[in-house]
Amino acid sequence: MSVNLTANAIPAIIGGDVNAKPLVQVLDVADVALISNSNNSQPQQQQRYQLLLSDAVSSHHAILASQLNDRVRTARVQKGSVVQLLDYICTPLRNHKIIMVLNMETIIPDCEIIGNPKPYKDSDLPTVGTIANNTVENLARSNNNSNSAAQNASHNAQNFRPKIQPPYQPPPAYKGRGAILKNEAPARIIPIAALNPYQGRWAIKARVTAKGDLRRYNNARGDGKVFSFDLLDSDGGEIRVTCFNAVVDRFYNVIEVGKVYMISKGNLKPAQKNFNHLKNEWEIFLESTSTVELCPDEDDSIPKQKFSFRPISDIENVNNNSILDVIGVVTSVNPSVPILRKNGMETQRRILSLKDSSGRSVELTLWGEFCNKEGQKLQEMVDAGFFPILAVKAGKVNDFSGKSIGSISTTQLFINPDFPEAHCLRDWFDRVGKDSASLSISKDITPRGPTNEIRKTVSQIKDEGLGRSDKPDWITVRAAISFIKTDTFCYTACPLMIGDRQCNKKVTRSGNTRWQCDRCNQEFEECDYRYLLQAQILDQTGLTWVTAFQEAGEEIMEYSAKELCFLKYEQQDDEKFGEIIKSRLFNQFVFRLKIKEELYGDEQKVKITVVKADKLDYSSESRYMLDLISIPIFVGSNCCAVSASIDTMNHTY
Amino acid sequence: MDTSNPAAFVNAELLHFYVGRRVRALTQVVRSDGGIVIGKSTDEKQLVVKGSPPPAPLTTFVEVFGIVNNDKSITPDIWTNFGDAVDMVSYNKLCQLAHGEYKHLFL
Repeated sequence: MSVNLTANAIPAIIGGDVNAKPLVQVLDVADVALISNSNNSQPQQQQRYQLLLSDAVSSHHAILASQLNDRVRTARVQKGSVVQLLDYICTPLRNHKIIMVLNMETIIPDCEIIGNPKPYKDSDLPTVGTIANNTVENLARSNNNSNSAAQNASHNAQNFRPKIQPPYQPPPAYKGRGAILKNEAPARIIPIAALNPYQGRWAIKARVTAKGDLRRYNNARGDGKVFSFDLLDSDGGEIRVTCFNAVVDRFYNVIEVGKVYMISKGNLKPAQKNFNHLKNEWEIFLESTSTVELCPDEDDSIPKQKFSFRPISDIENVNNNSILDVIGVVTSVNPSVPILRKNGMETQRRILSLKDSSGRSVELTLWGEFCNKEGQKLQEMVDAGFFPILAVKAGKVNDFSGKSIGSISTTQLFINPDFPEAHCLRDWFDRVGKDSASLSISKDITPRGPTNEIRKTVSQIKDEGLGRSDKPDWITVRAAISFIKTDTFCYTACPLMIGDRQCNKKVTRSGNTRWQCDRCNQEFEECDYRYLLQAQILDQTGLTWVTAFQEAGEEIMEYSAKELCFLKYEQQDDEKFGEIIKSRLFNQFVFRLKIKEELYGDEQKVKITVVKADKLDYSSESRYMLDLISIPIFVGSNCCAVSASIDTMNHTY
Repeated sequence: MDTSNPAAFVNAELLHFYVGRRVRALTQVVRSDGGIVIGKSTDEKQLVVKGSPPPAPLTTFVEVFGIVNNDKSITPDIWTNFGDAVDMVSYNKLCQLAHGEYKHLFL
């Protein structure tokens, strides 16, 4: 691991910069027991640690404030530690400088010595003990803020003449002329991962991995424009940088993808997770005072892009709207189609399929410019018989029909990139992949009736926990009726019209011959009879209870609710009634089901409603099943489909 | 049910694999005279059935169980009326699957 200590940290501190919060390395730790004095005249022996700090080029001693002593004792600070100095001062004493560390953070507890630091000469370096002594005395004074005459002299080996120490003032170099005050001192380059709003002056050096489009907007405050770009540094840290309005003008043309820049004096704010999918809780906002400098020399330590590819088989289980990277072989490209968007604007769309070594393929939808540029190129390549490798950075998962990936404004496409993953894939495809079948996790493009029809089996309802999300699940199931509850299969309904729909509320008897509806507040002679059918449906995987209302009920029973009611209750012809019910059993239908979990008392129950019951069309059903068989899935389920289709064939006469 | 001699689902193309063996085939009746019924098999080829149909009238589509002769015609055992509308394509696909990948399920 290579760590970059803050360049020129030591000279900067000696020069008076105490705001840089540099990264330095501890070369040595020495225990110096000192005799110090405080305001009371008794001399006290205090344990103090002296560190030898290095910035990889120069080294200098520093005294650790006593409140940090335990850091050394617990080995958080030891020989070789890389630390960040957070609060420190540098005071001149006669002709040398004393660095005192008041607060610091250990970044790496143990690290090899970086560089070849040489002692920094501020002037003659006196012996360790005396420096420490003097510093402690100064500090004691300044801490106590006393103006009283020093009482120390006698304890000092050197004849340190007491003098009245004025209240602590920054060293003369600081007085309004220093580089820091003029905001001109060079900032220290720190890793992107270390950026935070409480950081003092910082600078980062990173490569632009993505540049967003210039967007104009209009809100309550008027018109504005904005653009963002993403940075990646040599430690792998990533962060997004955003510019608004006038700042856009300054930097939009300066920033180019792939180039390395040194950026400083930006604001750090929390990242907007809706748009910003980088792994950083902060985002940089550049202002008029920010600086962006192009670094012309190629810095190979900064990678060009950072990917985390997922195998396509993983995508099936990923949440809707997740952002991810994927790499695969393009097996088909469809032509561009103009699509009308919600805001009335027209855009282009292309669908292509990607296949990878996980045995799955997925649909990739390209929008807008991607269709014309990369999309066109890919189409030409596939038409010519080549199957290019495509790497997608920041694609969005969509679960409209199966799982597919769509491009967003920050998506980047790389055709036949020079990555190890790409070479692996190419290898796999040429040897094995191009002939192997893969299962598509997106719905197939061949339309089968209504495009949002999802076929499931009865057992999948329970296994996949359908109906448990906040929206109901709509599926299609081919099943047979196995049981019909005959105790209450219909109810008396209000026939009055409310607007253009029938009221249908359950009515109650009023008197002996009349009916009363509470919603319409009316009484009438004749009521309507509507189905409220509870039935069990059954397929080769299992059975489940469903409820069918009027329309579906009639499709299933082929008799109106009124007729059956009449037969059972008025005529009391149980035999005929029983015959009709029996004849309905084991008829197959293609059911359209609505599945939703609802609260019953204090229990959550999954309620399945039959919205439509279509008579089975053997021909199209056989073709559907033959299609299923043609995709090589597991032999087990194919056998199921084959035997089920033989069964259906036998029904055709 | 006698499962000792299962009949294979065939179309015209697959007949020569089952010479001398029991098969079943769906055919669209084109001509029926004397002791021969000429029909169109599910893969659009000619199918000859050498035998007289039962007295009941034949519908447009008929499935025949029988033994395959050397000349690729079928000597029928059982005639089954399949009605006037049947999906020949599905039956044909079935023949192909039953002969190919999934033979073990049928024979």
